[in-house]
Amino acid sequence: MSAWRQAGLNYINYSNIAAKILRRSLKPELRTEALRRDDSHVRITPWTDGRPAHLKSKAA
Amino acid sequence: MLGRFAPGVCTQVTMGVNQQQNRNMATLKAISMRLKSVKNIQKITQSMKMVSAAKYTRAERDLRAARPYGEGAVQFYEKAEVTAPEDEPKQLYIAMTSDRGLCGAVHTGVSKVIRNRLMEPGAENIKVICVGDKSRSILQRLYGKHIISVANEIGRLPPTFLDAAKIANAIMTSGYDFGSGKIIFNKFKSVVSYTQSDLPLFSQKSIENAPKLAVYDSLDSDVLQSYMEFSLASMLFYALKEGACSEQSSRMTAMDNASKNAGEMIEKLTLTFNRTRQAVITRELIEIISGAAALE
Repeated sequence: MSAWRQAGLNYINYSNIAAKILRRSLKPELRTEALRRDDSHVRITPWTDGRPAHLKSKAA
Repeated sequence: MLGRFAPGVCTQVTMGVNQQQNRNMATLKAISMRLKSVKNIQKITQSMKMVSAAKYTRAERDLRAARPYGEGAVQFYEKAEVTAPEDEPKQLYIAMTSDRGLCGAVHTGVSKVIRNRLMEPGAENIKVICVGDKSRSILQRLYGKHIISVANEIGRLPPTFLDAAKIANAIMTSGYDFGSGKIIFNKFKSVVSYTQSDLPLFSQKSIENAPKLAVYDSLDSDVLQSYMEFSLASMLFYALKEGACSEQSSRMTAMDNASKNAGEMIEKLTLTFNRTRQAVITRELIEIISGAAALE
């Protein structure tokens, strides 16, 4: 078993960290373009019984 | 108390005035107001079309680069002949839409595929993940109990791999043990067409039991697990890109049609406006002339 999996990461976390480091170590003229691909705005809300989970816990 | 009731009274009074105006020739102002608002709407839809045309060219370029990710993952499942396990009825459906509307039927198409699946027998074993607010708002009322996760803030910016990675992470950490599943998304065909398509999802167990897995060399469960995680993210990424591209192209056509319809309306309204104006002038002339004739 690899060390990163033992540390509780899955492959996606592991490769994203590697990608982040790679982007940062690029030459400056390439880095600006690459860093633009380095952000994410998605927000994820878990749902239970037809409503957002955090709303339900507040109501209970 | 008076303040609370006043608005209702006001609307009634203004409605009465409007009706009276409609009966007289004073509709000229109403028509010109209507004309102005339609012209504004046309301006808005035209600029929205321009914006989505620009976004579309970028999305299409991105899509061409993202295609190998999705196709590679699907090829693996086909070559290894992975099939859904029969003893595990739990399924996961992922609806790939976005937060934004005004783009034709892209969101309803995806939601309809899932809705049809949920109406079939065996639906109690299906859970849904909604990517994008639109599919959530369509599915939540009737099938809210099937939704286990919702991802939003999609569609404002082009999707990145990090977005897909976040969604993949959420799927893996959701604690839902599915045997198989599908990603439902809009597959981009050309500027004017797209179809609902799906990508398969499988659990690790069903892949390990695949009959032709031996065509791939030196696979242990560790490698397989890593690959599974990566292929989930890359398939989501590919589906996001396809969806974004179809959405922009569809918005382009929708806004083009809206501008065209507004143009038609403007033509008709200008015609009635001119006609009414002419009628008003004629009537006033008649009044003046007949008044003058009566004085003689």
